[in-house]
Amino acid sequence: MLVGALVVARFLFPAKMNFITEISIFTIYVMGCNVLYGYLGMVSFGQPFYLSIGAYSAAIYLAYLGNSPLVSIACGIGMGLIVGVVLGPFFVRLRGDYFALVNAAICAIGLFIFEKLLLPITRGDDGLWYRARMSETPLLDIRQPASFFFFVMIVLAVVLILFRSMDQSVLGISFRAVKTNERKMRFLGYSTFGIKWIGFTLASMLSGLAGSLYAVNLGFVNPYLGTPHRAAEVLVATLIGGAGTVYGPFFGSFAFIGIRDVVSKYITRWEFFVGVLTLIVLFRFGKGIWGNIDLLIRERFGKKRETARLGNVSCRTNQTESSEKLL
Amino acid sequence: MDMEMLLRAVIFGVSTSGILFLVSLGLSIGFGLMRIVNMEQMIYYTFGAYATYSLLTLTGSFWLGLASGVLLAAFLGFLVEKMLLRRVYGQELMFTMVVTFSVFLIGIGIIQYVWGLVPKPVASPTEIMVNIFGVSMPLYRLVIIGIAAFVYLLIQLLLNRTIIGRALRAGIEDPDKVQGLGINIYRIITFTFVVASGLAGLGGALNAPLIMVGPYMGFDMLLYAFVTVILGGLGSIKGTLVSAIILGQVISVGGTVWAPLSYIAPFVVMFFVILIKPTGLFGVAGKAFGFEE
Repeated sequence: MLVGALVVARFLFPAKMNFITEISIFTIYVMGCNVLYGYLGMVSFGQPFYLSIGAYSAAIYLAYLGNSPLVSIACGIGMGLIVGVVLGPFFVRLRGDYFALVNAAICAIGLFIFEKLLLPITRGDDGLWYRARMSETPLLDIRQPASFFFFVMIVLAVVLILFRSMDQSVLGISFRAVKTNERKMRFLGYSTFGIKWIGFTLASMLSGLAGSLYAVNLGFVNPYLGTPHRAAEVLVATLIGGAGTVYGPFFGSFAFIGIRDVVSKYITRWEFFVGVLTLIVLFRFGKGIWGNIDLLIRERFGKKRETARLGNVSCRTNQTESSEKLL
Repeated sequence: MDMEMLLRAVIFGVSTSGILFLVSLGLSIGFGLMRIVNMEQMIYYTFGAYATYSLLTLTGSFWLGLASGVLLAAFLGFLVEKMLLRRVYGQELMFTMVVTFSVFLIGIGIIQYVWGLVPKPVASPTEIMVNIFGVSMPLYRLVIIGIAAFVYLLIQLLLNRTIIGRALRAGIEDPDKVQGLGINIYRIITFTFVVASGLAGLGGALNAPLIMVGPYMGFDMLLYAFVTVILGGLGSIKGTLVSAIILGQVISVGGTVWAPLSYIAPFVVMFFVILIKPTGLFGVAGKAFGFEE
């Protein structure tokens, strides 16, 4: 599957390269949201904040401290990790609705910090430009769009593999268990606080990685990468792709960016279509694109996968039942 | 900072509080009764403002625009509640949040389609300045304060003196028992929703002359309204009033001290209050309709 996506991407290579690069970066970003929404069942309206944390830490490194894009990406991930670890304990103990809205608030605070408070460093609305300062990297010169494309592909592949192993590990299962019934989970003796903290940190790390990739790709950042208005995009992409699945984010970001690009070619108002699409997906295909494909595959070649993912399946069916009951 | 400026900031702050209160009251009651976080409440606010703009340009009367804004917002709220939200009661919070958020996006799309992307100016109905304690204030600000206070009184009367208001308050405590008493809770919910969206429309119409009317105005207000509601505690009317008053002063006085503070200070205040007291100042722990904790 993984290799398939890469091969298909390479197949379409010449004309649509930038599009695929953008999708891949967005996929990583959506995966961060997916950890929160799909696995832990917590909605966050503040994901752009974590994205801009990653982007700005990469950008500030490149503009002032060093020249290597690779180190800047490491900076992005590191800052994501730090932010997740520091904010996590305060945030994850909040109830779902408060969690979502406090995240929206921190997103607004983050926009303010990058736009006004750090004005001398980030140059506010003008954005930070540093393309000329990026130095050549060994093996793959990621300053060139063509080789940056391959770099992103490699990163995406690594992230997807790690994510899949996370999905099948105890961690992934306990994430889902927290979503299904947190109280039961606590009764069984697990620290749901710790699990949520890990999930939150993971999400902010993934967003930070995506942010730093954006920063390297674009060659500049400005505060509008992290406005609260854009919080919807990533949530919608998560839902369209299929929340709580490994490959869902890829399909979600593919569909979302595809629709946005196509629709905005004809009319500038893509919000309407995104809203309608989300409602349709929510009410008719609760599992999203990959969720439904996955179901089809499992019906077709059922047995083999079923035994391999027994742990997940029991959780999944639980979820399906409850969602069916609700709908 | 001299006294005159401070006084002016405080009065401006009270009028901001009035608008915040009108806009976020519906959110708060809606959460208490239906346990839904109404992300799309602010679309009524935007529609209210746009209706005011349209009727003001058509007829030249602001107050007619205001009335039409309230009616349009209430009607839209009625439609959305009947057609869509009816299906999501009792579902998990995250689901309803995303549903209402996509309604919000659809609303923004419709507004952009009907009125276009360019922000529209709305003229203030009165330019008269009034002298209070040696400070000249625009009369319109005082009108806003008056209307907000009037609405608060009406809501208090409604909740405490009428059957429907009492049923509503009981519904916030325990909807299932209210239904057991033979009261149609669905009708109460629809009524609440219409009132809430009408209030949001009123807030939007009143706020229209103070800001530019644009498709994304609801988005900015959404953040402030949620800050108000969360600070006060979801589901508490008293909490909403108190936090609206606090935030109005924070925005206005903060903005006088250092201009960017007016944008950011509410978030910072809420942030720290939530970290200390996770349910807000007056959070209720009632049981919601069809919702199992």
